[in-house]
Amino acid sequence: MNIIKSKNFLPGNRTVWWVFIPGAHILWWAGLIFILISVESSAQQFRIYGTVKDNSDNPLIGANVILLGAEKGAATDKEGNFEIRNVSSGLYTLEVSMVGFKTVKVADLNIFDQSKRVDFVLEPIVIEAGQVIITANKYEQDISDLPVSAEVIPYEKLLRKNFTNLEDAMRYVPGVNMTSYQISIRGSSGYSKGAGTRVLLAYDGIPFYTGDTGEIIWESIPVTQLERVEIIKGASSSLYGSAAIGGVVNVITKKIPNEPVTYIKSSIGVWDDPYYSEWKWADNLRILNSLTLSHSRKIGDLGIAASLSRIEDMSYKQSGFYHRYIGYLKAEYAFSEASSATLFFNSLNQKSGNFLYWKDSRNALIPPEADQGQSIITNRQMLGLLFKKIISENFFINFRGSYYRSDWKDQTESANSAVTDLFRVEVQLNNSLTDKLFLISGFESSFSAVSSDIFGNPIALSLGAYSQAELKFNFPLIATLGLRYDFTKPDTLESSGALSPKLGLNYKVNENLIFRSSIAFGFRAPTLAETFTSTTASGITIKPNPRLKPESNFTFEIGSIYKPCDNLTFDAAIFQNEFYDFIEPGVDRSDGLIYFDNVVRARIQGAELSCNIKLLDEKLSLSISHTYLWSRDLEKKKSLKYRPRQLSFVTADYSFLDFLLGIDLRYWSRVEEIDTELIDLGLVPDGENRAAVYVLDLRAGYNFSNLGLPIRMNFNANNIFNYNYVELIGNLAPIRNYSFSLELIF
Amino acid sequence: MKYFKFILVLILLILNLSCGEGIAPEPIVQTGFSGTISFVGNWPQGITRTHIVVFKDPLLSAGDFNALNLKFVSVEIPYGSQVFYFNSADTAVVKISEGEFSYVAVAQQKIPNVSLLRKDWVVVGVYYAGGDTTKPGKLVIPQNTLVKNINIICDFNNPPPQPPGG
Repeated sequence: MNIIKSKNFLPGNRTVWWVFIPGAHILWWAGLIFILISVESSAQQFRIYGTVKDNSDNPLIGANVILLGAEKGAATDKEGNFEIRNVSSGLYTLEVSMVGFKTVKVADLNIFDQSKRVDFVLEPIVIEAGQVIITANKYEQDISDLPVSAEVIPYEKLLRKNFTNLEDAMRYVPGVNMTSYQISIRGSSGYSKGAGTRVLLAYDGIPFYTGDTGEIIWESIPVTQLERVEIIKGASSSLYGSAAIGGVVNVITKKIPNEPVTYIKSSIGVWDDPYYSEWKWADNLRILNSLTLSHSRKIGDLGIAASLSRIEDMSYKQSGFYHRYIGYLKAEYAFSEASSATLFFNSLNQKSGNFLYWKDSRNALIPPEADQGQSIITNRQMLGLLFKKIISENFFINFRGSYYRSDWKDQTESANSAVTDLFRVEVQLNNSLTDKLFLISGFESSFSAVSSDIFGNPIALSLGAYSQAELKFNFPLIATLGLRYDFTKPDTLESSGALSPKLGLNYKVNENLIFRSSIAFGFRAPTLAETFTSTTASGITIKPNPRLKPESNFTFEIGSIYKPCDNLTFDAAIFQNEFYDFIEPGVDRSDGLIYFDNVVRARIQGAELSCNIKLLDEKLSLSISHTYLWSRDLEKKKSLKYRPRQLSFVTADYSFLDFLLGIDLRYWSRVEEIDTELIDLGLVPDGENRAAVYVLDLRAGYNFSNLGLPIRMNFNANNIFNYNYVELIGNLAPIRNYSFSLELIF
Repeated sequence: MKYFKFILVLILLILNLSCGEGIAPEPIVQTGFSGTISFVGNWPQGITRTHIVVFKDPLLSAGDFNALNLKFVSVEIPYGSQVFYFNSADTAVVKISEGEFSYVAVAQQKIPNVSLLRKDWVVVGVYYAGGDTTKPGKLVIPQNTLVKNINIICDFNNPPPQPPGG
């Protein structure tokens, strides 16, 4: 390795030796962080402490307590206690928020020569307004202040449904549909065989997708360690760059409580027999089970949370099994009142079967003979670093860095394998220029290197710079103006650049009526997989396309939140999305080989209406939503593939004492267009078989905490009518299954 | 209470719809062809796979030898076979449906991985209709019909004319 050493002289006679290696700008930023830490000053310190409970006097675990102005905070422990240490004298506003409850603020909190106790009682809410969301503009905001549509999935919902994979939770988000494991927000994506995504997944703000295929690995996410999941609908490239062309899913991990908490969750489930007897292929029970052990505690200024999950599913499909281990570590350290760092480590080890398509509709749960017995070994590790430094009352810096290693190997006929290293760094400057003007700016860079027999050994570099201003007027209007420039250079191919501007408006007519609107441009650079894949499997050859260009879009949305009374809230939106140079897989008719190409000029128009209601003395809460999508390939004048025109959801929760009963209904209309080429080629016999999706799930839970036992349990019966449908051709969606989970918190 | 009634109706409506079974197994329909492949002479060395293949359109150029034109691929014929009996319904890698097909042949490959490039294949036997060996025979498969006696002779000592691009 070619190493160059140079010497830098810093104030205070400190000397730092720098080691320059290719792509080592991480070290430069680490040095900057070191310098920022070293200029801390000390002053007399106090603490703010207290409890957070609901209106039934139950402690709320994991509520966020933020000392505004000081940019400090804490999370409540298992008894609802919180403590914010090292608070300087001054006048503060203390804010408590928790998903599912109304945010409470205590203004003019005077910390002068003494510590202070403040106790909170939070009121539950049904409406989304009042929830804190961080993803839309990369800082904490009330969801009702946003210029775009957003959704929040609280941890409680993930828990009640016994989700072990975040992918499953996405199927219950209004305006979202899944085609196998590929997410589509308001019709942004079809199915691209794992190569690329039009929705960015982020992990506490750190982009989390693979360096080779650019796809989301949902199974890596440790669901039990999440506080909430935020979903932004619409192009978000002006802040997040490529891959956020269709929206963002940001998973927010739990804060580490002051008191030690040990958490054990175990679940067991079983797949029922398929609806048709000819589909039954196994005589034994098909079991799914999971076990998660986690512990979190604070040691001085250091907070640590660690968990290990083992998840196994024998699957209802032959070769659909998996054995999965997810490791998670989060370490937070407060260097001072003004600076803190959080280190993440996430690992996935998995062995899974390889079910691509069914043999035919009479053998819907088994793959063709040639694919049977194949498996895939996957190892992925992500190391992330978040650093926050408050420079002054109005200025602070965020640093986000990550390294993501992905290593997978097919134990199949094609025996493909790939090892990818992906490095990312981002520096974000946050400046409150006046009471009315907040400016964030940032720089982002990523570098990936692939070593594989399917994509070759390409490298890719991307750079991005962004700036966004949020302006609050003297009347209740919030305007957001942003601009981002991205540069991408895939290996030796031609580089490309893209500008992504956006404008957002939020106008509060009164407490009960809010209007929002946004216009944004987005772009997505082709992934290395889309550009360089060269492989043969099951007789089909995929060839590379070095001429592939970035795709881009323009999106417009106007929406409103209306709350006619305390127990009723409506949210409505209409939107339009114009896509240019859409990247789609297709067949080259000159040689019959499959490749990715810029083929489609597309338009998606739609409307979304959701309604939240509380009935029966607020014991019954209902959420109803409907999304209408009209997607068109403007050249072929037909619908885009894998986009249902209608998506509806109904969710009802009834709480009685410590019981909770719930029902979820999901309807997606039959998709109009599919991969007919795969059917024409004879690869997916009976692949044209598809139907509308009607899925009904039931659930029940009981919380023993009021009996003095730190135990919760949940029972789920999914797809109770054993309705048969496909999201992806030749892949029967999950049949009826039952699961039971038990949680122990102490 | 009026909201409650509305929601109840909505839930009952969706419940009613979800009581359907959705997609179902397709009934077994015998559409295809069957016959015998006879091999004459010694099999060449290094053959990695041998298949019966059917193309929709005539092979007039190398580009016609492509995946979209290819409508049937049988399972592999074992190396060294003297006679191979087949029925397209149960010996298909790529299944055939009803229609008119211009070229039915037995083709072999010597490379390790499957390829759809014309240059990687050698035709060792062609289906001729009605004893006319001057041009490849057409195969016509009506709906719900199994066309029998599609027989091909593969004479390794006297190979048939090769399609363009070989």
